Amino acid sequence: MKVYLHYALVLLIITALACGILALVNQQTKPIIDRNLFDEENNAREQVISAAKTFEKQELKNGKVYYIAKDEKGKEIGYTFISCGRGYSSDVQIMVGIDTDFKIEKIIIIQQSETPGLGANCIKPEFSEKYTNLEYKDLTVDKDGGNIKSITGATITTRTVTNAIKKDIYDLENELAGITFKQEVKDELI
Amino acid sequence: MSSFKELSKGIFKENPTFVLVLGMCPTLAVTSSLQNAIGMGLAATFVLAFSNILISLLKDLIPSKIRIPGYIVVIASFVSIIDMAMAAYLPDLHKSLGIFIPLIVVNCIILGRAEAFACKNGVFASLMDGVGMGLGFTLSLSVVAIIREILGTGKIWEIAILPQAYIEEPMLVAILAPGAFITLGLLMALINIIKDKKKAVKE
Repeated sequence: MKVYLHYALVLLIITALACGILALVNQQTKPIIDRNLFDEENNAREQVISAAKTFEKQELKNGKVYYIAKDEKGKEIGYTFISCGRGYSSDVQIMVGIDTDFKIEKIIIIQQSETPGLGANCIKPEFSEKYTNLEYKDLTVDKDGGNIKSITGATITTRTVTNAIKKDIYDLENELAGITFKQEVKDELI
Repeated sequence: MSSFKELSKGIFKENPTFVLVLGMCPTLAVTSSLQNAIGMGLAATFVLAFSNILISLLKDLIPSKIRIPGYIVVIASFVSIIDMAMAAYLPDLHKSLGIFIPLIVVNCIILGRAEAFACKNGVFASLMDGVGMGLGFTLSLSVVAIIREILGTGKIWEIAILPQAYIEEPMLVAILAPGAFITLGLLMALINIIKDKKKAVKE
């Protein structure tokens, strides 16, 4: 009996110490990590619409946050937002910049942990460059009958990125320009 | 055993991947490119070296009957601390190596070495063992990755080495999951043939 108490006590001490140390480190690093993420997001936002000087935070009716990009004269030159989707093995986040005609200016994958060597290739510029100048109607992966060439061995990742952006452009264009796309087009986007 | 031997045994004689057959998950998962293999290998080497030191220091404090849960808690906490510290202070490095960290926590080489070596040996010998095993792991991952990347993409480290015609239509299966199993199996067979030949010569 005594020996079991002894073991339990030792394990208790080890786990309690580990918890304490982890909590302490987390407390120290959390604000810095958040700050890094915040900076990174701002940085990505400036990159997707390079001509923009200021960004104004806005919200769609459905609660989706987007930013209006303005040049130095305060003229609206485009919109940026973060699209999210479930990829093959992780949640993928994409910073998207579109111009006032809702054409994609640039996209940057800001967060992903897809399979290294396959889906993770989505962070390469060769992939994101494919989206430049595309509109809502162009956003379909080749496997679904569209024109966006899938990453080798990573159709799921490509589809996630494409459909996530497509859905958000749809919502944005719908609300800001009052355009209503045919209902069946929307239904394709799960 | 001299400390050099502790270091070198992990690279050839007791190579964790090909001889001890430990850490198969990361071996199969990250060897689709040389860059990933080296990133994973070095991150694991670092963790191995320090977890071995830590376990060697704590070996007398943890009763042997509860050593496994004890080691798991110690190693997992240590890896989590590295993960958080790296994300906070070295964000660029964390971006390229961060995806390997969760894989390292579950890497059985780490626990395997704690159990087989660090809990019975001194701090310095354990450090040497950890570094050696880590380097051996890195080397094996790199060998598998080089074969898969060249066959699967025609390139190595983004540099084209096979003719353009091959790059346009490579043997894709090599970088997909089945390629990992096939390459690893063939390499292990090759190593066993060499070992058997050596044994036959000795006898």
